Amino acid sequence: MNAYRWTDLREGMSHTFEVELTAQMMSAFEALSGDVNPLHADNEFARKAGFPGVVAFGLLTSSFYSQLAGVYLPGRFCLLQGIDVDFVNPAFVGDKLSVTGTIAYLNEAFHRAEIKATIHNGAGQLISKAKIRAGVHERE
Amino acid sequence: MADILAQLEPIFRDVLDDPKLHLTRESNAQNVDGWDSLAHINLVSAAEQEFGVRFALGELEELKNVGEMVDLIERKLARA
Repeated sequence: MNAYRWTDLREGMSHTFEVELTAQMMSAFEALSGDVNPLHADNEFARKAGFPGVVAFGLLTSSFYSQLAGVYLPGRFCLLQGIDVDFVNPAFVGDKLSVTGTIAYLNEAFHRAEIKATIHNGAGQLISKAKIRAGVHERE
Repeated sequence: MADILAQLEPIFRDVLDDPKLHLTRESNAQNVDGWDSLAHINLVSAAEQEFGVRFALGELEELKNVGEMVDLIERKLARA
């Protein structure tokens, strides 16, 4: 885990990590969210809808933006204030996702970072893009 | 000055999710729906990026309404 303080941060700072989307994540997210839509659980239903298999929950893949901010950039002292996210392409179980964030803007008055972030699959296809608003608190 | 107010209006409409919002110099957090503390941070951040200026916390705490924000932006742009 990174532990950047406000004064450590600079516009242009970036972090990338990779994560594989698993069936276990899908079932855990279904239980957590209560979203039992068959597009995310029934391969036959998903194929009839035109997909090669069940489609990953958009909010499951987007949860990696929480990891990006809360663990890496800025990390330990993050207080997530908001995320705007667009789901550009579907993700599937087995995809190896690359999550990247870059600090686009720092607000000195309120100690808030705006991070432009993306998730790509192993083929380099854009899965989602996001603007993350993260405060940086000072207390341990 | 009118131009700055006119440039701020779409920012406020977007941040406060109110496409019909009419912004005046007298607008403030008490008379504009949805202008809460988090919206305030969003408004200030958007204004800084729109005008290419930076506000100090002390400057922001002294502002009583949008008109004073317009005046502050105008002073900063004049010094730039």
